[in-house]
Amino acid sequence: MVTEATDTVAATRSRIQIQGAAKSFSGRTVVDIDDLTLGEYPVEGLIGPNGAGKTTLMRMIMHSTKLDRGTVTLVRPDGDDRGDVVLSELPTYAMAGLGVVKTNQVIMDFEKLTMWDSMLLSVAKPKQELPFKIFAEAPLFAEHEEEMRHYLDFFSLTDPADQAGSAGEKKLLDIVRCLLLKPSFLLLDEPTAGLPDDLTEKVMEAIRLLAASGTSVVVVEHDLNVIWNLSDQVHFMAEGSVILQGTPEEIRRHETVVEKYLGEGHVGG
Amino acid sequence: MDLIAQSIVIGLTEHGPLVLAAMGFALLYRLTGLINVAFAETVTLGAYIGMWINTTFGLTFWLAIWPAAIAAGLISVATYFAVFRPAKRRDVGMLEMIIMSFGLSIVLRYSLQFVFGYGFVYYDVPAQQGWRVFDVGVSRIKSVSLVIVVVLALVLFWFIQKTEMGQKIRALASDEKLAQVSGINPLAVTVMVWFIAGVAGGLAGAFYGVGQGFKYTLGWDQFLFIMLVMLVGGAKNIRGVIIAGLGTGIVISALSLWLKDTQVATVILIALFMAYLKVRQRSLVEGKV
Amino acid sequence: MSTDWLSSALVFGLFEVVMYIGMGFLLHMQLGLAGIGNFGVVGFWGLGMYAYGIIYGGHAPSGTDLIIDIPWPFGDPWQAIASVILATLVAGLGGLLIGWIISGMDLDGQLVGTFGFAAIVFLLARSQKGLTGSEGGIGGLDFPYDIGSEKANAMLWLLVASAIVIAIGYYTWRVHRSPYGRLLIATGQNEPLARSLGKPSNLTKLWMFTVTSAGMGLLGAMFAVIVHFLTPLKLGVDVTLAVIVALILGGAARVWGPVIGVLLTVGLFEIVVQLYAPFPDSWYRQAMPVVKQIIYGMSLIVVLMYRPLGILGDMRRDKLMRSIHGD
Repeated sequence: MVTEATDTVAATRSRIQIQGAAKSFSGRTVVDIDDLTLGEYPVEGLIGPNGAGKTTLMRMIMHSTKLDRGTVTLVRPDGDDRGDVVLSELPTYAMAGLGVVKTNQVIMDFEKLTMWDSMLLSVAKPKQELPFKIFAEAPLFAEHEEEMRHYLDFFSLTDPADQAGSAGEKKLLDIVRCLLLKPSFLLLDEPTAGLPDDLTEKVMEAIRLLAASGTSVVVVEHDLNVIWNLSDQVHFMAEGSVILQGTPEEIRRHETVVEKYLGEGHVGG
Repeated sequence: MDLIAQSIVIGLTEHGPLVLAAMGFALLYRLTGLINVAFAETVTLGAYIGMWINTTFGLTFWLAIWPAAIAAGLISVATYFAVFRPAKRRDVGMLEMIIMSFGLSIVLRYSLQFVFGYGFVYYDVPAQQGWRVFDVGVSRIKSVSLVIVVVLALVLFWFIQKTEMGQKIRALASDEKLAQVSGINPLAVTVMVWFIAGVAGGLAGAFYGVGQGFKYTLGWDQFLFIMLVMLVGGAKNIRGVIIAGLGTGIVISALSLWLKDTQVATVILIALFMAYLKVRQRSLVEGKV
Repeated sequence: MSTDWLSSALVFGLFEVVMYIGMGFLLHMQLGLAGIGNFGVVGFWGLGMYAYGIIYGGHAPSGTDLIIDIPWPFGDPWQAIASVILATLVAGLGGLLIGWIISGMDLDGQLVGTFGFAAIVFLLARSQKGLTGSEGGIGGLDFPYDIGSEKANAMLWLLVASAIVIAIGYYTWRVHRSPYGRLLIATGQNEPLARSLGKPSNLTKLWMFTVTSAGMGLLGAMFAVIVHFLTPLKLGVDVTLAVIVALILGGAARVWGPVIGVLLTVGLFEIVVQLYAPFPDSWYRQAMPVVKQIIYGMSLIVVLMYRPLGILGDMRRDKLMRSIHGD
């Protein structure tokens, strides 16, 4: 069932290795993964029925939920001598600094902050946010103005001195915040949910560009067309573990499994 | 050994009302999720109104406390309609709601001072007869109060855990929409809870106030402990509140006897409570990250 | 220039106004920016006040020394300056301890933690006779200089306090315009989101709470000098109430909120009503303090019900961003 492609792909990207990891809520095992590596391919899809444990798995990777057992490790690409890091021993806030970033499925925003604020918050480094750095705003803005404007233009976001208004704007802003963190491993949780088609295209394009520049991208998405279009590799999750792995074509070949979990009509797509 | 026995006697007779107050407070907290600072003044109100009825109309203490309790309950309901219900309808946030209750507490406390004066007031009760238990003098009025507190606490416990009304309260506290769907009238139940909480607080105040002088800060002085007992006992767990309340009374008496200094004993107990809350918070975090 | 119109009472009233504005700025950072509910403001302020009295070398009214008697190698004004600094540090340690206890706790925990701290400070001030003089209090705290009359000394101290509060205000104003302020706001608004962007939210709040608590202690120490005499009665809930009312009334999210709020509350009562209103004397002694508290309490309820963001309204990050970064 599992394709043995690992050896043939050069490890040029950051990967996340999940080993012996389990999580249960009030006695019910939600995730139980023996050994799984994410990020060996530029873009990977993570799919599965509701309740398969995808969201919990992502929360485990970001260590925003405690593991019952097992480890989650960030494995650096070959040639990067910074060494591997066990993420499941670190606090949640340490992830972004290590380049492990996740977008939010539900709309999340800072109610009182503008889009400029959100973006500047992302790009600001800890030493620029020290209590006595009261003149750090102008240099910070100058340093990052170009890339911020780039993303604003890319997603056609206007009036950055205002709060993000619509749900769509908030969703895009969430993605922009994550992109500005310059992730080496990016988890996207239903990035196109609720977006109109043209913006879905934009998000997909952004993902492709990011992946091409060396970031490992893992997408969780209910819209399987996005997955089939975008992914180089797909992980199919059900009942807490990954039961199928392969290219989109390979996964779609397992018609019976996919239809059993996702219902009919998804494989044709 | 003597110390322990004496602490139990003093803890129960002097701090018994704490159990009643904390139960009323917990009931309210459970329904609204709100730390209602003005609950402190419900306690003070009970003490003052009881005193007023007792001294003005010549009713004995045992008769005066009931109208006082009902009045405290009604005023508690009145604060709900005057402040908390409109605030909830306006979607006032939780922090703002706590600050509002703080404001209300101040208004009520100083209004009481305005009405009843700055100094100490006293119930008119017959000269204190009593008996000695483990070398501790216990007045009759305090012992009978303790019996009443215990009975009321048990009644309240039974009411919340076993009766249909209690069931409705618990249903409304856990899920308002669901409760509404299953035919519970939220307003009636809410008013009921504010009333019961006020009665419990008012009675606690009367029991606190009798036997010694008290003034307008009576409830406020007890409020920190009412709040701590409720949080430590576990707001969802009335049994825990009862145990924490009794335990607090006994521990503070023991510390006071041992250190011969009530204020230092109080400081130590507050510190212990805070340490406990911190330890509990950290263990919760362990589970959640 | 004649300063006759400036009575000693007026100087003291002005000092209170200035001090409360400073406290308002500090609570603004805790509550208005980072969303920490501090119901024990008087605890941190009082800790600074008492720490100053003890460290500086105040004595019980009877003249007996307290347990702690530092043999200062230098006299005033250095002794007072060193004492103020140490008192500030002591209050900061209190802030660090309570900040750590309430870190990660919800509003209920914050309420209990800060409120409990204020109770502890009060009880210690009242019970530790050797350390704090208990009910008798601490005396012997005069101005660390003498430039003439009591009024002149007080005026100079008012100027020093004003300079400090202006500095605190300027810092607060700059914080709104710096990445640090944004970090505080983000932490106060959506902690999980801030964490996911790499911000150590608990640590951020803890340090901010520590530093602002130290600031409250600094103002408490300043107050100790101008009142000369400390008693536990000064540690009442009215201090906390006054700061909260001023902040809520003016606008908790705005830099100028505390300024407007204090002028309309402390300024109105401690200066206008106290010194210039034509009420009979007996009113001032009995009714006025009570009426003041009732009005403060009422205004909390009314403002939060009908204008929850205070007179100045909500934070206007959009205007701010437009003004500093353009469109």
